[in-house]
Amino acid sequence: MNWNMNNTNNIPGPHIDDDLKWKAKIFIAFVFVLFTILLLRLMNMQVFKGSYYESLARNNRIRIVSIPAQRGKILDRNMEVLADNRPAYNLIAIPEDISDVSFIAHRLAGILGSDEEDMIERIREAKKRPYNPVALARDISFHQMASIETQLYTLPGVSIDATSERDYVLKELGAHVLGFLGEISRKQLEGLKPGSPYAPGDPIGKTGVESICEETLRGTKGVRIFEVDATGRKTKILDEKPPVPGEDVVLTIDKRLQLTACRSMAGRAGSVVAMDPRTGNILAMVSSPSFDPHVFLSPMTPEVWKGIIEDPMHPLENRPIRGQYSPGSVFKVIIAALALRNNFITPQDTVYCPGAYSLGDSTFKCWRRGGHGNMDLVSALAQSCDVYFYVLGERLGIDRISSFCTDLGLGRPTGIEFKDELSGLVPTKEWKYKRFGEQWQKGESVITAIGQGFTLVTPMQMTKVMSSVVNGGNVLTPRILASTEITKERTLNIREADLAVIKEGLKAVVESEKGTARAVRDPDFTMGGKTGTVQVVSGYSSNLPDQSDLPYKIRDHAWFFGFSPVEDPEIVVVAIIEHGGSGSSIAAPVARDVIKEYYAGKGPCDEQVCQDNR
Amino acid sequence: MSRYARITDNIDWGLITTALAIVFIGLLCLYSSSRGTSLAIFYKQLMWIAIGVLVMIVVFVVDYRVLLRSAWPLYIFMILGLVLVLVIGREISGARRWISLGPMGIQPSELAKIIMIIWLAYWGEQKKHIQGYGIRELVLPTFFILIPVGLILVEPDLGTAGIVALISCTLMLLLGIKRSTFVGLLVLFISAMPFVWFSLKEYQRLRILTFLDPSRDPLGSGYHAMQSKIAVGSGGLLGKGFLEGTQTQLRFLPEHHTDFIFSVVAEEWGFAGSALLLLLYIGLVTKITQIGFKAKDRFGTMICFGVAAYFTLHIFINIAMAVGIFPVVGVPLPFISYGGSFMLINWICIGLVLNIAWRRFMF
Repeated sequence: MNWNMNNTNNIPGPHIDDDLKWKAKIFIAFVFVLFTILLLRLMNMQVFKGSYYESLARNNRIRIVSIPAQRGKILDRNMEVLADNRPAYNLIAIPEDISDVSFIAHRLAGILGSDEEDMIERIREAKKRPYNPVALARDISFHQMASIETQLYTLPGVSIDATSERDYVLKELGAHVLGFLGEISRKQLEGLKPGSPYAPGDPIGKTGVESICEETLRGTKGVRIFEVDATGRKTKILDEKPPVPGEDVVLTIDKRLQLTACRSMAGRAGSVVAMDPRTGNILAMVSSPSFDPHVFLSPMTPEVWKGIIEDPMHPLENRPIRGQYSPGSVFKVIIAALALRNNFITPQDTVYCPGAYSLGDSTFKCWRRGGHGNMDLVSALAQSCDVYFYVLGERLGIDRISSFCTDLGLGRPTGIEFKDELSGLVPTKEWKYKRFGEQWQKGESVITAIGQGFTLVTPMQMTKVMSSVVNGGNVLTPRILASTEITKERTLNIREADLAVIKEGLKAVVESEKGTARAVRDPDFTMGGKTGTVQVVSGYSSNLPDQSDLPYKIRDHAWFFGFSPVEDPEIVVVAIIEHGGSGSSIAAPVARDVIKEYYAGKGPCDEQVCQDNR
Repeated sequence: MSRYARITDNIDWGLITTALAIVFIGLLCLYSSSRGTSLAIFYKQLMWIAIGVLVMIVVFVVDYRVLLRSAWPLYIFMILGLVLVLVIGREISGARRWISLGPMGIQPSELAKIIMIIWLAYWGEQKKHIQGYGIRELVLPTFFILIPVGLILVEPDLGTAGIVALISCTLMLLLGIKRSTFVGLLVLFISAMPFVWFSLKEYQRLRILTFLDPSRDPLGSGYHAMQSKIAVGSGGLLGKGFLEGTQTQLRFLPEHHTDFIFSVVAEEWGFAGSALLLLLYIGLVTKITQIGFKAKDRFGTMICFGVAAYFTLHIFINIAMAVGIFPVVGVPLPFISYGGSFMLINWICIGLVLNIAWRRFMF
């Protein structure tokens, strides 16, 4: 190699001045110092400490274990705990340290009473990332823990990890709202961005609040780096970073109302939603039947899973936001509001109900065969006269009805924090032509007006709409998290006097002599509402007083929407009972129970107010 | 003597041979570390080396003094590239550093390193009548240094921004700063540190502490550093042998084809191999500074020292990181780490220095 350049005489001298030369020499000296540091360091590490590092490399003795963070609690509006953490024991394995897989699997399966093949499969799978500790069994019993603990020395690579497990205080009574945790799925893991905090076996919120507040609740995992000896036992902790617990999440749910609603729904399918019409706060949200969220915390057997999935009652379905039903007579409230707003009728105008309404060749029956006689708006609402609303439906036409429904927020998710809401359906002429290739029939507008046509709503949508009618025309987005801001979507621009008349009609449903929900009136508070009965199979008359003789699947759905107090309502409750029969006898008492409990809970609070006033 | 003979005679073959020897070591390591997953990056690297050598020849042929005229266009080109990457750059794990060019990607921040050397050498050439800069003379170049450094920080790419800043500082110091100004700036810098520290938010301070002490983040960079140290140390005197490095082959070592590739050299070839590599690097840098001393104008001298600083900083930070005496930052190892833009710039640097060495015979 030609390291030194030939300096021939015919070359002009370099243009480097003394000052630069001096600095350049310092620069070169500095470079040499840096390289010397590296050489010395390398010599120290590789020559003098080489054997130490070599032994580290041979066993790769360094283990990194993440320390799970305590998940945040989920609290109700009064800071009562809905989802808690309790101590639990997990069976942990470091796959690399398990040499005899079938022996260990056999022993563990024996103690845990689980499937040996499954255990072998789990260990084999984990061997793909041999130095990552993996949970072979979660939340083992104290007895199992003790029995493994005493035999640990014969089970290399296995250890017991004290951790905490989710505890859903309400059990199945809050399962749909709170959701549940589960092990992160392989699919979810593959979809993660680099740097995400999840590892195989980590819990993640799968549904409900657990899912929508995952990031808040999760916290940040800690990390422990330690050296182990040849048998995998910890010898020295090299580094540790403590976990940061997740933050608590406060809901708008009132635990007591939730429990009351659940109890009233016991043994029935359907949903109950209670909302504060002033704020959009969801006070109770019940889907029935339900399930025990704890079964999802640990891997479940295919039988259990099949049992849940194939249950004809679909317990996993979150009915308040995913159940889509015809609105039934509750829809008459919407028609009344629209007709008043657009001056299609005044409160004093009457319609004569002979028991049926004819339009062209078709005849539309009122639920009351004998007819209601002369009906004004208040009595038509109170007695749920079909003929009165047939007339309004024909006059208004489907275009106005559907555009008003859209204004109210039907036909799209209500905007509550849950992600899997269904939209329901607001039929239009265009929709029908697209869907069936047929023109819209006038008769279809007529039956739409009593909530029996194509229209589909979720209980949550119904709650939102009815709240906007009784709170003075403000469409509020329902919210379940106390941290979500109150959102007013729009104002309905209905005259106050008109809203007052509607409220009077709704009050008459409960309070008046002939009101359809007279049975649920309560002397302790004023209450308004509207009943609804949806024929599931046409041809069966909905006015049978008792449908219990009919097969379950063809019984009518029962709706009830109630609110209280009539002046400045504080609570709106919507209940639907699938195949429950008549709305007045089945659904109305559920709503009444919730409202009664609302006042019972308010009691002490009022006393406080009273004392303050004294 | 024929003209042809003269051209080849005065080429500094020692410099090229040294660079090629380092490239060869790098290829061995890249083969070893990519064998387990996919050799695609090995072949890509071969292609980039070929492109790099071709570009070096082009850079060598054109008289480097044309750069005096193109310093400003190059500077503007660099700024445009750095802005463009922020707008249309591919985002990879939270940073925008790449501009896609068909199947390849280029890193404008790599280009910034060499263009800043050229620009500062040009600036020094313009101001060569000034003996020692004072504050007034320093304002403008500081401004023009901070623009690219700031843009690279936004990407974010702390390592590259630091390298560009350090190369620039080295060149400014070599160009000459008045002693009083230098002392003043030093005092100002040191005394400002506590104020900056306490004006930071809690999480920002934490971030800096993690940067200074990676074991605060043991799952991330702390893990890399620890595994890299094990790899280097376990190489011992003579190494575990080609393709025998357990740390590399068992994939304990992350980023072992880019930022942590030195660990592969050290593990498989031991102290003997890593010391040889270091000596080759020392030879390379010494050669470049020698050429700098003999360049026929100040512009050439400054480019040579800029390139020497460029190589030294990369080599030192990268290896110091692999042996655990420097925080983990993304700084690659010249001629060895995998990466097209970086390989290209390395060869451009060599081309420039050869150019300067050869043209001192021209008059």
